[in-house]
Amino acid sequence: MEKEFNFAIFFCQRLDPEQDVNRRALEKELGSRIKFFTLPCSGRIESLHLMRALEAGADKVYLVTCPVGACRYKEGNTRAKKRVEFARKLIEEIGLEPERFELIHASSPFPNTIDDIARMLISREKGLTQSPLNARETKEAARNTP
Amino acid sequence: MITAERKPLPEIKESISPYKKLLIVGCGTCVAECASGGEKEVALLASALRMDAKKEGRRVEIREITLDRQCVYEFIDQLTALIDQCDAILSLGCGAGVQAIAEIFPKIHIVPALNTTFIGQTREAGLWVENCRACGDCKLDRFADVCPITRCAKSLFNGPCGGSKGGYCEVDPETPCAWHLIVTRLEESNRLDKLGSVQPPANWSKKEGKGPRKIVREDQRN
Amino acid sequence: MKPESRLRKILAAGQFAVTAECGPPKGADPEAVRKKGNLLKNCVDSVNVTDNQTGVVRLSSLASCAILREEGLDPVLQMVTRDRNRIALQSDVLGASALGIRNILCLSGDHQSFGNQPEAKGVFDIDSTQFIHLVRQMRDEGTILGGDKLTLPPELFIGAVENPFADPRSYRARRLGKKVSAGAEFIQTQCIYNLPYFKEWMQQVRDLGVDSKVYILGGVTPLKSVRMAEYMANNVAGIDIPAEIIDRLKGVPSKDQKKEGLKICVETIAELREIKGIHGVHIMAIEWEEAVAEIVEGAKLLPRPVL
Repeated sequence: MEKEFNFAIFFCQRLDPEQDVNRRALEKELGSRIKFFTLPCSGRIESLHLMRALEAGADKVYLVTCPVGACRYKEGNTRAKKRVEFARKLIEEIGLEPERFELIHASSPFPNTIDDIARMLISREKGLTQSPLNARETKEAARNTP
Repeated sequence: MITAERKPLPEIKESISPYKKLLIVGCGTCVAECASGGEKEVALLASALRMDAKKEGRRVEIREITLDRQCVYEFIDQLTALIDQCDAILSLGCGAGVQAIAEIFPKIHIVPALNTTFIGQTREAGLWVENCRACGDCKLDRFADVCPITRCAKSLFNGPCGGSKGGYCEVDPETPCAWHLIVTRLEESNRLDKLGSVQPPANWSKKEGKGPRKIVREDQRN
Repeated sequence: MKPESRLRKILAAGQFAVTAECGPPKGADPEAVRKKGNLLKNCVDSVNVTDNQTGVVRLSSLASCAILREEGLDPVLQMVTRDRNRIALQSDVLGASALGIRNILCLSGDHQSFGNQPEAKGVFDIDSTQFIHLVRQMRDEGTILGGDKLTLPPELFIGAVENPFADPRSYRARRLGKKVSAGAEFIQTQCIYNLPYFKEWMQQVRDLGVDSKVYILGGVTPLKSVRMAEYMANNVAGIDIPAEIIDRLKGVPSKDQKKEGLKICVETIAELREIKGIHGVHIMAIEWEEAVAEIVEGAKLLPRPVL
C-alpha cells in the first residue's frame, strides 16, 4: 500500500491574503489528508491546537510564520516558537517524535501563495514516517479487512 | 496564589494505568493562573493521554471538567453527577484540592497530577516566585515588606549573612538576597534605624501548630 | 584547676591574641583531633573547631572541643544554628560549659545545599544574632528563652563573625554593631587580603564607636597557589583578593607559591597589628594546620605569653 501522509498547516494569514482561494486546489487534490488553519497572527497558536491536529490524525503539523522581525504584532512569531517548543516537549514525553510539530519562519525567497508554500513543505518531507497513532489504526484496519 | 507544576508524564501514567474511564478535573483559580491545572492544561493533558493510549493500543475514555475551585465543597459537588461514569479522577488541583475531593468522594481513587510547590506571585508572564511561607505571624512591616522567612535561604531575622554577593544569594546566584533588598529599601527611604534593634526569635508554633492548623469562624458557619 | 577562657584573659590583658582554626575529621577518630590540637598547642592562644562547615558531616565541634580540652588547649566552640533548634542549642551550650569549654562562636552556618547532605532540613530556628543574645542571657541572667531559671549558668566568652567584604558593603559596620549590642564580646572576621578596604571598614567601625565595645581579631588564610587564590576569589562569596596579590603569586614559580602565600600572610598580620581596634589575628589554614606555627613565628608572635 502506498504511504500517504496527512498534513495540518497552521499559518499567519498575512503570508497569503488570498489564501481562501489559493488553498482550494490542494484541498481538492488531497481531500482529508490536508487541513489548513489560518491565524490572524502566528502568535495566536496554542499548543493545544497542535496537539488536537496530531490527535485528529496528522502525521505532520506545520506552523508557518512571517519572517523574523517582520511580525505585524512584533513578538507574535517569537511567541509562536515557544509554544511549538512546549508542544514538542509534551509529545516527546509520550514517546512521539517532536519533529512532528515544525515551525517554519518565512525567509526570502519564500513562495507567496499558500498553495506554493504547502507544496514546498510537502515535497521536502523525504524522511516522514506515519504517526504511530495512525500506524496502529492502519494495522487494525488491515487486520480487519478480509 | 498557590503554585504547582505538572508531574512528569511517566509518573502520572503509572498512577492511572489501572483505569479505563478517567475524569480529568481542573481548577480555575491558582493553578490556572500558574498555567499548570486550568482548563487549558486539562485539555492538553487529556490530549496527550489519549494519544499515548492510542499509541500503545490501550482503550481509555477520558472526560474533562474544570471547577472554579477544587478546595470548596460547593464546587466539588458539581462532580457528583459525573462520578458514576468514571473509575478514577485525575486531579489538576493543588494538594488542598485533591484532598478536598477525596474527602467528598472517598470511594473513588483521586490521583494528583500536580506537585504543589509554593505560595507566590506572578512576577511577570511565565515567572512565578515564592514570597510567603504561611508562618501565621506576619511581620512584613518590620522588614520593608520583604519576607525574610521565605526569601532568605536561612530565614535570618537579623541578616544579611556573609554570603550576600552583589545583591544575590550565594545559595542560588539567581536569587536576590532578601537582606540586600531589605537594607537597600530602608537605606533609600531613610528608615535604616528599623534594623537597629535585634529581632527576637520567631514563634514557630504559629507555623508548626499541633499538626495541621485550622481556622474556625462561628459567624461564618451555618 | 578551674577551666577558664585563655582567649578572654589574653585580650583583657591587652595582648595581641592569636587563634587558629581546626577542622575535625570526617570520621569517629579522636586521634585526628588530638594530632591537630598538638600541632597548634604552643603557637596559638585558642583553637576554633568548625561545626560541620559547608554542611559536610564531620566529627562534632562539641566533641572535638572536649577532646582538645583534655589535651590542655583552650577551644572555641563554633556552633551553627543551621542544624539545631533552640532546645538543642541551649542544651549544647550548657553541655559545652559543663565540659570546661569556655569560648563559643555563634554562627548561622553555611546553607545545607552546599554540603553532602543537601536533602537535609535546614533548621534555622534562630539566627546567629539571636543566638548571641541567647547565650548572653543564659550566662548573665541565668535564664533560657521563656524565662525558666538555670540551676547553674554557663560560663562562656561569646564571639561572632563578621565579613567586611560581603555585600551590602555599606551596611557591614552597622551589622557588626548590632551583633555587639546583642552581646558579642569578640569578633573573628572573614579572611583579609584587601588591606586598604579593611582599613576603611575599621574606620567605619571606629566611627560607630564599636571598636571600644568588642575585641576584633582579623582573619587570615594563607594562599597555597594561584589556583587556590583564583578559585576563592571567583567562587566564594565575601572573599576579596586584589589582583596585586594574585599577580604576586603568579610572579613566582609554582613550587615557590606556597612560600610566597605564607609570606603574604605574615605581612598581613604585621599590618593588622598596626590597625587601631584590632586585638588579634585568627588564622584559618584550612587543611594546612602545619603552616600555623610557621606563620605565627614569622609574624614574631612566638612565644605566646604566659599568664
